[in-house]
Amino acid sequence: MSDLYRDLSDAVTAGNTETTKKLVNQALAERTGAQTVLERGLLPGMHVVGERFRSGEMFVPEVLFAARAMRAGMEILRPLLTETGGEATGTVVIGTVQGDHHSIGKNLVAMMLEGAGYRVVDLGIDVTPQTFVQAVSEHKPDIVAMSALLTTTMLRMAETVNALKDAGMRDCVKIMAGGAPVTDEFVKNIGGDGYASNAGAAVDKAKELLGR
Amino acid sequence: MNTGFRSQVVPEYRLLTENQIQEFHRAALEVNEKIGARINSEEGVELLKQHGCTVTEGNMVLIPNYLVEECLASAPSRIDIYNRKGEEAMHLEGRNIYFGLGTDLINSYDVYTGEMRPSLLKDAANASRVTDYCSHIDFVSSYALPHDVPTNTAYVESVKTMFENTVKPIFSTAAGLEDLKFIVEMAETVVGGADELRVKPCLIHYSEPTGPLVHSYGAVRKLFYCADKGLPITYAPGDLLGGSAPVTLAGGIVQALAEVQAGIVLHQLRRKGAPIISGWAVVPMDMRTCTLSYGAPEFRLTNSAYSDIFHWYGIPMWSTVGSDAHVFDEQASMEHAFTTLMAALDGANLIHDVGYMGQGLIGNPAMVVMCNEIISYVKRLMRGFEMNREMMAIEEIRKVGAGGTHLAEEYTMKYFKQELWDPALSNRDDIAVWKQKGSCTYSHKVVHKTMEILETHRPEELPGDVKDKLGAIAERADKELAGIHFVA
Repeated sequence: MSDLYRDLSDAVTAGNTETTKKLVNQALAERTGAQTVLERGLLPGMHVVGERFRSGEMFVPEVLFAARAMRAGMEILRPLLTETGGEATGTVVIGTVQGDHHSIGKNLVAMMLEGAGYRVVDLGIDVTPQTFVQAVSEHKPDIVAMSALLTTTMLRMAETVNALKDAGMRDCVKIMAGGAPVTDEFVKNIGGDGYASNAGAAVDKAKELLGR
Repeated sequence: MNTGFRSQVVPEYRLLTENQIQEFHRAALEVNEKIGARINSEEGVELLKQHGCTVTEGNMVLIPNYLVEECLASAPSRIDIYNRKGEEAMHLEGRNIYFGLGTDLINSYDVYTGEMRPSLLKDAANASRVTDYCSHIDFVSSYALPHDVPTNTAYVESVKTMFENTVKPIFSTAAGLEDLKFIVEMAETVVGGADELRVKPCLIHYSEPTGPLVHSYGAVRKLFYCADKGLPITYAPGDLLGGSAPVTLAGGIVQALAEVQAGIVLHQLRRKGAPIISGWAVVPMDMRTCTLSYGAPEFRLTNSAYSDIFHWYGIPMWSTVGSDAHVFDEQASMEHAFTTLMAALDGANLIHDVGYMGQGLIGNPAMVVMCNEIISYVKRLMRGFEMNREMMAIEEIRKVGAGGTHLAEEYTMKYFKQELWDPALSNRDDIAVWKQKGSCTYSHKVVHKTMEILETHRPEELPGDVKDKLGAIAERADKELAGIHFVA
């Protein structure tokens, strides 16, 4: 059985979706609980990915393949986890701010967060402050994550923070922001909670902000 | 048998063969005809429909080959740009090369304190004054996104500052059509009217599609506005290899070429013969950090490819230099030297982002001063040398003879200044003299030269009434643009 978990973990790290699905099903067939498969198989695989990415051994496309395998495994486990009362690590509402049509960075962060076990509500690109507010009221997320690539639209992030304040929702969520022109200092200045310079760091920052 | 021609020896470089150019051209035609371009503008879609394009789901417009080729043919093969005073400044055509700054840097170094901080309007003013001084830099750009003015007037204020601090032509972007109109009004005021600006443009607008294959509402509006005004526009996609474009260089080239073709179609259908400058930045995305790399060799290859393609089309082109270094250091120098040389060898016309650092996020006026010398070096290299009976100097060799010296000869006196490059800052002293002068590093000399320029160079001032009018336009922009959302 321990070999099975190791193989599953390796399959996730290698980004092998088909093998991951096969091994998750195999583990479940051997009457293992979904929570155990997650904790001993999938998460350790992603943990290795995180470490190797930080040390520069793994490249972003390889990380995304691993996240995809992780998600495929999660799709099998999620209904079972819900049954047994296990829950997602947290919910994140994410989007590229109004006026900005760039999605790559935002998609990367969304995939990495999903890979780390978060439920991600992706609002897409050109997201108005009002849409962010509506999504917060609807999905009750733990984190709102904003992205901007353009120097012209980066300055719109402050308006989203203000819209959440005006709606009385600012304190219900943690606010993260990122994108090429965005800096730690900028996020502090606009009243956000956290900045991350890349998708891997975004996961670390989410964990730090939520303590989980 | 070179009758009537001077024989000039010049460095020559081409990346693509004519067959390869045609193959890229056809591949991009195929993308536009079979996959299409997403046009997020009803007006744009309608115009394309009227001209025989097919509109499919999600505003994807399929553009027939003949229409692309017609529009490539009607785009002008030469664009003349003037300075603020109406004097000829740049002939964007053929393999002429012109260098200038870039827009929007959000961080700037203070040369006096050596500190990096968010950019201010005074950084745009400093960059303009340094550019005004630097004789090898041909056009100016804000080189800063000022944080000390309201967001909605950042570009209007930057353009006003540039007009106040240099006579050189301005390359500027805008957040939307809303602020672009004020910027154009300023340019019209400076040159004396809308017709004057059309005949002698001193402003080039810079806009871009959003890869992959998307032409936003704002981008199409600006294309149409510039076409109507006859204002030269650079419409150049920035695509990341492995991000917003295929990771392969050839794939990135095909996609960007398709995007440029679609932009030219929109622009030329709006008004045939309106001036448009093409090009792209197909840039590698670092697969560890996801950042884009200005200094990368792949970027040079994709630049060379479009230069060859647009020379073949006969459409003036834009290009990009720059560095990924965050400080004014050896990497910054190395990357600027390589990128400047390659852009020149490409024969690209409007070469921007001179002095760009930190992957397009950091400016430093000292970098601009150093680039002035790099450009000077490269322009000397590109000039090559003349080769004829007189220049081959057989008479001179005979006259001085074996064992003689040429130093005090008339021939030397006559030609040394045209033949030999005279660097402004690079070291040519011997060791003793260099020590005597304080054993200075090159960067030390550049920084001090920059300070000297900032303290002593006085650009020609705008006439007082024009200055007042620009002030009034900026004030009006501040009121009218306050609080509005620009549509991207």
